[in-house]
Amino acid sequence: MSYYFAVIGTQDNPLFEYEFGTSKQGGDGQSRFTEQAHHLNQFVLHSSLDIVEEVQWMNGQLYMKVIDKFFTNYISCFMTGGSVKFLLLHQPSATASGTASATRNSTSVGANPTSPQTEEAIKNFFSEVYENYVKAIMSPFYKVNMEIRSPVFRQRVAAAGRKYL
Amino acid sequence: MASSKASRLGEEYVWRTRMDKVNAELVVLTYGAMVAQLCKDFDSDYVKVNQQLDKMGYNIGLRLIEDYLAKSNTFKRCSNFRETAEMIAKVGFKIFLNITPTITNWTSDGKQFSLVFDENPFADFVELPDDGRAQDELWYSNILCGVLRGALEMVQMQVEAKFVSDVLRGNDTTEMRISLIRYIDDELPPEDD
Amino acid sequence: MAHLGPGKTASSKEQTGLRYPSNGKTIYHRPLNRTKTAELSQSSFAYLFSEMVTYAQRRVTGIQELEKRLNVQGHPIGLKLLDLLLMREPPRTQTRPLTIIALLHFIKINLWTHLFGRQADRLEKSSNPDTPDEYMIVDNEPVVNAYISVPREMSQLNCAAFVAGIIEGVCDGAMFPARVTAHSVGGKEEGEMWPGKTVFLVKFQPEILEREALLGKS
Repeated sequence: MSYYFAVIGTQDNPLFEYEFGTSKQGGDGQSRFTEQAHHLNQFVLHSSLDIVEEVQWMNGQLYMKVIDKFFTNYISCFMTGGSVKFLLLHQPSATASGTASATRNSTSVGANPTSPQTEEAIKNFFSEVYENYVKAIMSPFYKVNMEIRSPVFRQRVAAAGRKYL
Repeated sequence: MASSKASRLGEEYVWRTRMDKVNAELVVLTYGAMVAQLCKDFDSDYVKVNQQLDKMGYNIGLRLIEDYLAKSNTFKRCSNFRETAEMIAKVGFKIFLNITPTITNWTSDGKQFSLVFDENPFADFVELPDDGRAQDELWYSNILCGVLRGALEMVQMQVEAKFVSDVLRGNDTTEMRISLIRYIDDELPPEDD
Repeated sequence: MAHLGPGKTASSKEQTGLRYPSNGKTIYHRPLNRTKTAELSQSSFAYLFSEMVTYAQRRVTGIQELEKRLNVQGHPIGLKLLDLLLMREPPRTQTRPLTIIALLHFIKINLWTHLFGRQADRLEKSSNPDTPDEYMIVDNEPVVNAYISVPREMSQLNCAAFVAGIIEGVCDGAMFPARVTAHSVGGKEEGEMWPGKTVFLVKFQPEILEREALLGKS
């Protein structure tokens, strides 16, 4: 299972990006995206922003669950009060690759991208990131749509990924 | 130190009963917005920002002392600088900011001491700009130095107050150094009543 | 959204030069709820605020410009509080406001209670058919006016412009772009019972009303 996480500003500008793999079921936390996928991920994520724009006025829940699918890529979204988007692209491992896939079963987080377990895990991940995001934006020197460059923030996102995904 | 304990309870009482209060985050965010504005106005010339904050604090100090004397029931003048330090840390900071910085690092002549802030409400939420300069040049809470300078001047003490370390700069403590320059004993200001 | 291409990534500049204390404490280590109910003395706020006004006054040429400046200083606070307050909501009520009414209630109840310890006194929609985009939040006694003495030559100044900026920040952040202004009405309507009474006029941009109509939520 590989993940690509991005925080997208109100002008659809990237504020933060992080790529990682599952730490569940013996996963090593490394992403297994192909070289080609690395480049594609950003575009896939950004093309789902149009859908976010529609969905955001239907329901006020911050966590919007899976909002888009592109081949084997699933995109989950969380929108902050200030209309900044957290997007998580999750891609269940292809059959041949990685150690994680060998031991996974149907209920494992990520194996089934739309299962309640996966939804809940991603929700927890987003909530933890949200708390850290709010800490970042509370600083008087943080201006709207500024990149989040703090290495501590990055560590916190990584920790949330390890904990829930 | 029975008397000192009684006095501490007194400050807690003053804080709880005599001070009208507002949400701390309103104050903290307002201060933050102000410092951010100054940085913008002075084009990130942090030395100038420090000066401006000190100046604003000084103006506040001049006015705050009356409020302090009224609220704290302080009738008598401090008999020496050590007593002044105690009153600043345990009464002044307590009733206005609800914190009690630690007094330390006295010089042997009793004219210089440090206030160490385990807590600094102004710095809640704050991360200095990552521009390679702010952490070397900006004293984020510098307004407090001005406040002390202004307030003490109103009670006939000329002091120098400056921060020498700040956790926001990556230091392990937040420390303000206060030095007594002289007592201003000529021309006492007229009493109000 | 096409402007994000490979290579232009946010992660390319992840190294920062900030130093941290040896205990490693940063803003990320501090629980966000620690100061949720913390209090400071009102006079601290009053001193700070009036110094801020005095400083701003020297850099502008008139009352209007001064109020604009106070508004601008309040704006980022609104943006921050919108998320801080939402984050603190229990999951059941942790929702983004989707309608003007929901947004104004959030301001009247959540924002006001947090900042001023009570709700705003009233919420009104403009009764003028020509201005369906205008709403009013009424505060009988804004803290920023009650405890802050304004220089005499500035007697027309309404310091609540700062609060108007905070409100505007909340509106803009939540994607309800609006212009918010503070107006003193004390003494005009109800004698001198509320001399500091202030109306915050919230004027939404036209597309917000169109969106509401489209979503069938107005």
